[in-house]
Amino acid sequence: MNWMAFTPELTYVAMAAVFLGLSMAREDHRRDFHTALVFSAVGVGVSLASAGVTADLFAESYRVDLFSQVFKVLLACGFFLVVVLCNELSGVKRRLHPEFYLLLTTSTLALMLLVSSVHLLTIYVSLELSSYSLYVLVYLRKNRPRRESTVVHYFLIGASASAVMVFGIALLYGSTRTMYAVEMARVLPSVISQPAAAIGFVMTLAGFFFKLAVFPFHFWAPEVYEGAVNQLTTYIATASKAAAIALLVRLTALGDSSAALAQVLVVLSIVTMTVGNVSAIVQKDLKRLLAYSSVAHAGYVLIGILSMNPAGYAGAVFYSAALVTLKFTCFMVLVKVAADGANITVDELAGLHKRSPILALALMLSLFGLCGIPPTIGFIGKLLVFTAAVEKGYFTLVLIAMINVVISLYYYLLVLKAAYLTEPKAGLPPLPVSAGDRLLAGTLIVLIVGIGFYPDPVIQIARSAAAVLL
Amino acid sequence: MPTVYADIPILSAILLICLGGLFLILATPRKEAARIKKISAVSSGLTLAAAVYLFFAYDRGVGGLQFAEKISWIPSLGISYFNAVDGFSLPMLLLTGIVFFTGILTMWELTERVKEFFALVFLLVLGVYGLFMSLDLFFIFVWYDVSLFPMYLLIAVWGSTRKEYGAMKLTLYLLAGSALILPALLYLVVASGLDTFDLLQLMDPGTFTPAQQRFAFVLFYIGFGILAGVWPFHTWSPVGHVAAPTAVSMIHAGVLMKIGAFGVLRVGIFLCPEGWKYWAELMGLLATVGIVYGVLAGLRQTDLKYVIGYSSVSHMGIVGLGLATVTVDGLNGAVYQMFAHGIMTALFFSSVGYIYDKTHTKAIAELGGLSKTMPKASAYFIIAALTGVGVPCLASFWGELVVFISSFRVYPLYGTLAVGALAVGALFILRVVQKTCYGPENAKWAHLPDVSFGLAIPRMILVSVIVLFGLFPSLLFDMIRTASIPFMAGLP
Repeated sequence: MNWMAFTPELTYVAMAAVFLGLSMAREDHRRDFHTALVFSAVGVGVSLASAGVTADLFAESYRVDLFSQVFKVLLACGFFLVVVLCNELSGVKRRLHPEFYLLLTTSTLALMLLVSSVHLLTIYVSLELSSYSLYVLVYLRKNRPRRESTVVHYFLIGASASAVMVFGIALLYGSTRTMYAVEMARVLPSVISQPAAAIGFVMTLAGFFFKLAVFPFHFWAPEVYEGAVNQLTTYIATASKAAAIALLVRLTALGDSSAALAQVLVVLSIVTMTVGNVSAIVQKDLKRLLAYSSVAHAGYVLIGILSMNPAGYAGAVFYSAALVTLKFTCFMVLVKVAADGANITVDELAGLHKRSPILALALMLSLFGLCGIPPTIGFIGKLLVFTAAVEKGYFTLVLIAMINVVISLYYYLLVLKAAYLTEPKAGLPPLPVSAGDRLLAGTLIVLIVGIGFYPDPVIQIARSAAAVLL
Repeated sequence: MPTVYADIPILSAILLICLGGLFLILATPRKEAARIKKISAVSSGLTLAAAVYLFFAYDRGVGGLQFAEKISWIPSLGISYFNAVDGFSLPMLLLTGIVFFTGILTMWELTERVKEFFALVFLLVLGVYGLFMSLDLFFIFVWYDVSLFPMYLLIAVWGSTRKEYGAMKLTLYLLAGSALILPALLYLVVASGLDTFDLLQLMDPGTFTPAQQRFAFVLFYIGFGILAGVWPFHTWSPVGHVAAPTAVSMIHAGVLMKIGAFGVLRVGIFLCPEGWKYWAELMGLLATVGIVYGVLAGLRQTDLKYVIGYSSVSHMGIVGLGLATVTVDGLNGAVYQMFAHGIMTALFFSSVGYIYDKTHTKAIAELGGLSKTMPKASAYFIIAALTGVGVPCLASFWGELVVFISSFRVYPLYGTLAVGALAVGALFILRVVQKTCYGPENAKWAHLPDVSFGLAIPRMILVSVIVLFGLFPSLLFDMIRTASIPFMAGLP
């Protein structure tokens, strides 16, 4: 067995073990942050180092290929960035910090396993490992009224999605007599026209619809985004979404060119983006607003996936990278503005342009990116998925998506208005932004605009990654 | 059409000057407002100089696309960075240069958040220049959006009357336009099967079936038409103009609305000539309704800027009518009118802007007798008004004349209606002039200073351009003909 291929995962296993030990130590927890920072940085390095490796592990139920490695790099970067934000983790009791990092690590580990899994049971187990870590993590927030109800809400929807998924897997197994994705790709085209196989397939996707917050499994998003610690919300909005997109792409590529499946996804995509955008308009809490915007983005990503062509899959891969960058930038600003790890309303962004010009600029660009305004990375993402959809003849769908973009512009502009047009409330000092934060914000700004202007290298990576699937 | 490549990338240089100016402004400390203004003036002056040079260095005997630059940009999608100018885009570049430079000078007395203001204006103009010179659909779309989004902040921060409402309405309307343009672009790029965004390759006759052209043209016409103030998608325009600060109104009405008309021409008509012919009659109808409507709505306004806003709707209708004739003369007139209207509204808004800055009112009823209290300011206003009316020897006259002649041939009814409406329009503009500049003096404004020499410079430039092109229309018409005649001859 080629252990090199498994090093990123092993790094996170080691990290989890360390934090398990730390959580039992009753000493001071000042070093937790730095330990996490070092480990997650090593994780990024290891994932990058193993980016070109290919291997089939564990009785071929686990595949390491360019597609999985690209997502592992993305996940490692996302995780590292979230840890960077944990500098002031004031939303969690100090003595629970090791547990927080432990669970965050196991969740990341699970997502890494997920993107490489090519056996339905491995997929299911990885998905659950990630979800259970998140259920507990959501509960860790201190001084949050009704946090039990948030967690139960989250858990119930997650459990229902899992139940649907397991049932789907059973149906799928019944029709194809296999659990292996490779085998399934061979058998599925001949049986996908049977109702049992088609329904089973869509139900199998349900687990990822839940992760990605696709209608009708999106109801947890606003609750959980609002209830979780800001840093955790960042994680849920970035890394967790990227992995969900990866798996949706991998699985949909199996049921290639099924018209019925495409129709279902078209409907889900339209409903999801419309529900997300329309609900976001009335939100006052910034995290709830971003939650609904995530729902809307799930709808846009589905457009790339349902196109079921190489361009669409590559578009979805690119889109996930774009989402991680843009959402992270938004949340970074949110974390920095929210004193004491509290939630903030849109109005509390007032006067951000005076309190910290660089954060305001980062926020503006990320909002434009989320809206899909050129020249940002978000526009290229939309361009790629829309082009793929038009190639398949889904012109009306693209038009509907563009109308949704116009709706979304309204609430993004409301956020921008708060940050740029209003004066800071009396007595609010300028935000203390450290040199490191400036560097991070600057890097993100350069990424958002730079890739927006010159996306070719990233598009090439996304294309090669997607090409592995076909 | 021949394509002449440039030895020195002057077109890119214009974009780089804008970008360089932008970064210089960002790098200058907030406190040094005077230096920021100087940087802005110098950089915008340089772009104007480059535009003037291009205008005269363009070889009219050769025609076609000149000063071309082409670099493969995103090969995986068939996108290239492809800039070139022809007889249609050069007048627009010149217009942008003039309005940009004079707009910057007009805002010399700005004191509020100077740094951000000029930075955003540079970003906006970067998009405008880029759009006029680009021949790649991807870049055309990118520049289109780059030029729109600074508008939101420019209006909402520095504007007046209902600024947040105006800014939001404008941005949503214009993005709705791009929501139609992007799918249409992708539709054509995919339908061509050429895997390229290169406008020249896509405009080969026979690339698209007539049905595809008819379909895509509607989307382009509405999408870009929203920005050009085509009735009934114009409602953002008066509101936005009124809310915007002076320089932004100038750039917006003077240049941005032209982007819309230019987009219809460059993308819609170039790619979908069949669609253009098919929908021409409807375009003519909408344009005529716009002309008549703009005049009638303008009659009822009590706010000076609203008056100009509605007159813009009506004047842009003339551009639309010219395009709708599907003739060489129509195209010539339309492009001429785009240029002339741009200069004219810039002068209009800059003179009204001065009056507003001093009196803090735009209500026609509160003004009066300005020709005595501020003779220079009202002189500029009156010249702008006369140009708007279409007095001979001033630039607008020629554009309107040529458009009307060609529209009489093609659509006698629309032509008659449009000319009738303009006659009424002349009446209402002269009425406004009479009420603001003449009549009893309002004692409140007696102590106000008149336009100083420094502030008069941009207005004098605009006036001299209006007179120059009013006296020598062939300067521009010859240029436009180098593009319009081969284009119409190349149509199937």
